[in-house]
Amino acid sequence: MSVSLRESVQQVSDPRNLDASVEEVFRLMLGVECRRDGATFASEAESVTAVVGFGGLLSGACVFRSGAGAARKIAAQMTGMEFDSVDDTVKDAVGEICNMLAGAWKGKVPELAANCGLSVPAVITGRDYNLHVQAPEFQLHHVYRFDNEGFAVTIVCDGLQ
Amino acid sequence: MGEIRTLIVDDSSVMRKIVERALRQAGLETLVVHEAGSGTEALEVLKAQRVDLILTDINMPAMDGLEFLRQIRAQNLAAGVPVVMITTESSEEHVRQAIQSGARGYIRKPFTAEQVKERVLPLVSAA
Repeated sequence: MSVSLRESVQQVSDPRNLDASVEEVFRLMLGVECRRDGATFASEAESVTAVVGFGGLLSGACVFRSGAGAARKIAAQMTGMEFDSVDDTVKDAVGEICNMLAGAWKGKVPELAANCGLSVPAVITGRDYNLHVQAPEFQLHHVYRFDNEGFAVTIVCDGLQ
Repeated sequence: MGEIRTLIVDDSSVMRKIVERALRQAGLETLVVHEAGSGTEALEVLKAQRVDLILTDINMPAMDGLEFLRQIRAQNLAAGVPVVMITTESSEEHVRQAIQSGARGYIRKPFTAEQVKERVLPLVSAA
């Protein structure tokens, strides 16, 4: 029997799934409470972006973006170490957070959990760059806040079977 | 409980540290940890070291966790050593594949130290 996500597109694009995934990952892996913030994400000069791709029934990506301060704080919470720059450990930590967000999000929909694979994370750092996605089928873009630090999580779906 | 020689396989060094910390919080204070950043590297560790427990991620570049499991059986390495998968993949199909490949346990990321304790301690106690 072929599996289709078309019939469950509302479930897939339900914004509450993303909020629940972000809260769960931050509570369990960082030990902090994280809440969705109505504000828009104010990009800092230096930012860190992690991307985990989806393939299978859904193609697209989970994109995590934060400033350098939030990225260093995430790595500090995960490792118990302090960081004064965005080094390889900080990039590794942000990549893993994005990986867990992508996994937790797709795990909310059984058809997605079983029929959609994840790529290994890619992490981009730098100043003054934009990430452009061409005409996605749907997109969720939420801003969150923990310990006075903000970050954005975007789910981009560019194909749904 | 005596010394527990554990191999932690994950391409993320941060996750390897988190898994080690969770194992210590689970009560495995006599832990001796070997780390590997890929399935290929882990096979080399197993050729050189005896271990009592293996915890491995699934999604890794080059050789993923399931292929690593198949390789340790094919190369007759770590016979009888319990393997626990720690992964973001959580579907029944992934669990079935892991068990078929020889895994004895499965922990979904994100996890708590309590979950690690529940899944790992019985395997170590039985060894």
